[in-house]
Amino acid sequence: MRILRTEHIRKEYPGCLALDDIGVSFDSGRVHALVGKNGSGKSTLVKIFSGAIQPTSGKFYLDDEELSFDSPVEAQHKGIATVYQELSLIPYLSVAENIFLGRLPKKGRLIDWKTANRQAGELLQKMNVDIDPAEKVYKLSMWQCQVVEITKAMSYNPKVLVLDEPTSALAQHEVQSLFQAVRALKNQGVIIIYISHRLQELWEIADTVTVLRDGKLIDSIPMQDTDHRGIVHMMFGEVEIRSRPDDLSVQEENVMEVKHLTRAGKFEDVSFTLKKGEVLGIAGMLGAGRTELLRSVFGADPYDSGEIIVEGKSAPQKPTPESMKKLGLGLTPEERKTQGVILIHSIRDNLCYAGLDRICDNHIVNSARRNEFAQRQINDLQIKVPSPLALVSSLSGGNQQKIVLGNWLNNQPKIMLYDEPSRGIDVSAKQQIFQIMWDQSRKGISSIFVSSELEELLEVCHRILIMRMGKIVGEIDPGEIRIDELYAAAMGGNI
Amino acid sequence: MTRNSKTKDFMIRHMIEMLLVLLIIGMTIGAPNFASVNNIMNIFRNVSLKGVVAIGMTLVIICGEIDLSIGSQVALGGVLTAYISKVLIDAGMAPDYSALIGLLAAIALAILVGIFHGIAIYNLGMPSFIVTLATQSIMYGLAAIICGGFPIINVYPNWYEYLGVGKLIGVPVQAFILIIVVLIGWFLMSKTDLGRSIYAVGGNAESARLSGINVRRVKIIVMVAVQLMALLGGTMNSAQVRSATFGFGRGWETQVISSVVIGGTAMSGGIGTIWGTFIGIMFTGVIANGMTLLNVNEYMQYVVNGALMFFAVMFNTYMNRARR
Repeated sequence: MRILRTEHIRKEYPGCLALDDIGVSFDSGRVHALVGKNGSGKSTLVKIFSGAIQPTSGKFYLDDEELSFDSPVEAQHKGIATVYQELSLIPYLSVAENIFLGRLPKKGRLIDWKTANRQAGELLQKMNVDIDPAEKVYKLSMWQCQVVEITKAMSYNPKVLVLDEPTSALAQHEVQSLFQAVRALKNQGVIIIYISHRLQELWEIADTVTVLRDGKLIDSIPMQDTDHRGIVHMMFGEVEIRSRPDDLSVQEENVMEVKHLTRAGKFEDVSFTLKKGEVLGIAGMLGAGRTELLRSVFGADPYDSGEIIVEGKSAPQKPTPESMKKLGLGLTPEERKTQGVILIHSIRDNLCYAGLDRICDNHIVNSARRNEFAQRQINDLQIKVPSPLALVSSLSGGNQQKIVLGNWLNNQPKIMLYDEPSRGIDVSAKQQIFQIMWDQSRKGISSIFVSSELEELLEVCHRILIMRMGKIVGEIDPGEIRIDELYAAAMGGNI
Repeated sequence: MTRNSKTKDFMIRHMIEMLLVLLIIGMTIGAPNFASVNNIMNIFRNVSLKGVVAIGMTLVIICGEIDLSIGSQVALGGVLTAYISKVLIDAGMAPDYSALIGLLAAIALAILVGIFHGIAIYNLGMPSFIVTLATQSIMYGLAAIICGGFPIINVYPNWYEYLGVGKLIGVPVQAFILIIVVLIGWFLMSKTDLGRSIYAVGGNAESARLSGINVRRVKIIVMVAVQLMALLGGTMNSAQVRSATFGFGRGWETQVISSVVIGGTAMSGGIGTIWGTFIGIMFTGVIANGMTLLNVNEYMQYVVNGALMFFAVMFNTYMNRARR
């Protein structure tokens, strides 16, 4: 039996203690679930195992041999393999080529395809799956890709295998196929560390669960010794949620109705209404379909069926961002840098793209008004800029997010859609963004707010919809639910 | 910023203007005829043909695309105008009208080709590089088929030839046309919503789309604009030599693109100015003229042009890296 063991592992970042005195051990032949909310330190711990970062102090051992890595390559050589949630496969190469990328067996100077396919086939067989090694990867389904990724990691004969959210992109039936492969690995004496936010899965696949919270180890216990409520409680402890300002109220008038909206494979039969001035939250974990829903509502992606009604008017059957903008919608997209701003352009220009019509008279830009529009958002949103002509690429994440928002506010939207607006920005910028949402609410502007940081939703929203596996599964009044209950609802399972 | 680094920043950003001034000073000293009024008119006339196309190309490149087919549009537009004019004259129509009808047909064709490019790029997701390489070949072949491999002559009325050889207060008409196109281009790009949309689409098409900008429309418009400018350049060319044939415009794209990038426009899109392209046009024009005056081998000009383009792109790439 092998054991991966840590002693007093500590990781400090400037102004932040990511891991504090972690001592935990994982033995072979079992699947060890590692859980914790965002920022709990689980990614940091995994990155230390995989050699991506080094601990500030503390040691870790594999079978009493002390390990310390300067790079991920070194970790791989020492037998620690990590499979990340973003797949790294090359679509137009075959399964075997992907598995042996950069080290295909050769006959003389030529690639020995027969041997490559045979060896890949043997590895796949060990995983207890039926995938043709000669098949091109783009033809595989998501779970098969995930299995190929794991097989690739296994081809290095690792002693430790870290799986980071392997099921987040999979549909329910695919999860079962993946588990079959993971169980096959268990029997080969590998230490498997399994990170997931889908709690209900853990009882199916994991043998132990290790919970981190705020960089501290809370507990590491066998799965059968705990239940849903127990894990959620360990993850969140007693949290205090700050509440909304009192003067926020929702008006009776419906500003938007979404009816039976469906996009195959993304979300199904989603219906809800949004009232004037309301801040509506959508709670869901990664892969629940929240981003996809928001994008379809905004016309950024298509949908298959259903109807969107804005202020009594039906949106076009094939909406575009352009047509939804005309109806009064605005979106701050999930990926700020690649979808929200134009990094190589100035702050002033970036603040005036959505409202281009408004700074123009007869299609001709009114320079005075353009400056006025840009300056207004810089002042109102307290965007810290050296000059309106500075490039957006020079700003911090929080200020860039305010630019995305200001761009839309300059178009005087009636409904703002926020997709993970607080991701990657600091606490004070976060609070400012929430403040902006409330200010807009006071002006009668409605918001839909998607976040995987559910505490934020409790703090900001009037009402929260729970989304799971592409469906709205419940509606919640933030005043009547605790954070652990909300997480449990979003992650699935009953409490 | 200290005064010193401000000066340095200014110098780097206006490198090409300063080089042009140096070049002009050098030529004035080195080639006695260079600074004569006649020669300067000559330069303007020579650069105007490809110059108007370069203005159109600036829109396309800022928008993040490319059009390699413009040389073939020069040929096909010219041949089509001349052919239709010839057919109508043979049928008894006065050349004044026959050439006009031919030109209108060529305008319609250029618009259609531009729309086709835009749709292929946006709706079919094809790279503009390949789309326009294909149409380059197609239009060249069609031009040769229509004119039967020989120049079409004696089909132009006076007003048409005026576009090639006419003068206004002693200045070639072509120079005026170039200046007008430059002014329109400058106004469009810096003062109108369409111009700002072109920058946005080239800077980040997805961000632009999610800001509610109609990316498809913008792409189609720029692809049409460059085709129309190629037709204009080709028309001036035909008018100047009083004939049209399929070989006209061959290889223009190299010089046109080189003027645009020498002017500081980034091939990756989103960055560039009409003023820069104008300087780029003059720069290549002065160099070509200078080499002719100094009796440099004609083919040496190709070598110099290619080298200029290489170093211009190298410099731009270096400059724009800081922006990302």
